[in-house]
Amino acid sequence: MFKILDPLRDITFFTVLLRLILAVILGAVIGIERSYKNRPAGFRTHILVCVGASIACMTGIYMYVNLHLPTDISRLGAQVVSGLGFIGGGTIIITNGTKIKGLTTAAGLWACGIIGIAIGAGFYEGGLIATVLVLVSETLFSYLGSKIPHNEKFKLLLIYTEKPALNDVMRFLKNKRMSISNLEITGKRDSTQSQYSAILTVRPRQKTDRDSLIGNINEIKGVVGVKLV
Amino acid sequence: MNLYVLKEQAMIGDLWQYLKEFNIASVVIRLLLAMTSGAIVGYGREKKERNAGLRTYMLISIGAALTVLISLFENEMLSDRWLSITQSYSLKFDSARFSAQVLAGIGFLAAGTIVASAHQQVSGLTSAIGLFAAAVLGIASGAAFYECVIPAVIIVIFCMEVLQPLEVAFKRRLRNITVTVKYLDKNDIDTIKKTIEDQGAVIYDVSLEGEDPNDRYPSAIVCMKMSRDKSSHSEMLSSIAELPCVLSLHELIS
Repeated sequence: MFKILDPLRDITFFTVLLRLILAVILGAVIGIERSYKNRPAGFRTHILVCVGASIACMTGIYMYVNLHLPTDISRLGAQVVSGLGFIGGGTIIITNGTKIKGLTTAAGLWACGIIGIAIGAGFYEGGLIATVLVLVSETLFSYLGSKIPHNEKFKLLLIYTEKPALNDVMRFLKNKRMSISNLEITGKRDSTQSQYSAILTVRPRQKTDRDSLIGNINEIKGVVGVKLV
Repeated sequence: MNLYVLKEQAMIGDLWQYLKEFNIASVVIRLLLAMTSGAIVGYGREKKERNAGLRTYMLISIGAALTVLISLFENEMLSDRWLSITQSYSLKFDSARFSAQVLAGIGFLAAGTIVASAHQQVSGLTSAIGLFAAAVLGIASGAAFYECVIPAVIIVIFCMEVLQPLEVAFKRRLRNITVTVKYLDKNDIDTIKKTIEDQGAVIYDVSLEGEDPNDRYPSAIVCMKMSRDKSSHSEMLSSIAELPCVLSLHELIS
């Protein structure tokens, strides 16, 4: 580690002030990206988390190094890590029964807290390098992440009159290297001729053209109609 | 020539040793390794769904690696700058305390991603375990445990990418299936059971779901084992769906 920073490693009024200001700056830098995207935890939240974590860590060190109390200097700071896990868990929202939102915010808040601990411990190098890496992963990899092809699940509503049609469709999808993760069949009684409908949840393994897929399924014997749900 | 090789080996050995020590270069390498391993785990998940993407895994790995580094830093301070204090006052210090809390913290965070939907289905479990794996890989790279991180990343990718389609294919072939049936009247469950048994399947569990006040119709979760010669899932499902009393049918596949 840089020897030149050694005078700043002890807990004095000046270093405490320096660490708190540094925690505010790093929290703001990380949080501003989230704020910019209008996410629930904006940069004020990140600043508070970062400052709070650094205070906890500094207090732990102060109790042993300055007050000579018999304690583990990392105990206070360490509980911040699990405590922020709780808070992060609370920011996750489940919408629509299956979709999850706010996980990246939770992870960012958690990482921000640990950077705060590093600053509070006087580990300026670690805190700064980690901040740079967090920023790189939040901005650059956010961009790269959007470039990754997403093979999202989709639902197909299938209406058919002949029983074997469902089997044929499932075999067709399997040949196209798609897996069916859910199947729901609803019989229709009110019509004179037997007609069934099924909802298939399909997970493709590669990028697929859904329109041509639907066209192909429509040509299977016994299929009356098919559409995306 | 031989001497040159020896020299080179010694240099690699020195570099390896250097990166195991606590210095600025190894801090950068460890954090970068953590970030990369998080990104590798996250890449496969990002491809499948958007909720736990690349960035989430990277942030968690970086944070986890930093906790170990903070401990190492405090350890160095205690044995160098604050040596006089540790010599005169009793010292209690645990270098694993910070990183031990990562496991608990990420456990809570990951629990938030697990969703229990209707029909007794649980989703998001693999994402949660992926977060946990990213955190643990971060801890290992923070501790400069390179021997572990590199094979572990490969194993994690293998489990998530190669085993997943295998598992789905395996489940398709299983003779055990679980379906949720919604039907018209309470007594119709006997008709449904009879239809299933007529196909040679053995029913080993039927759990009737309490009548939902929002839902006029009763539903049941039926676990069955199909006979050896007749084991097409869709045939079994459509034979149940054909029954006039059945309103909807839902196969549970995780």
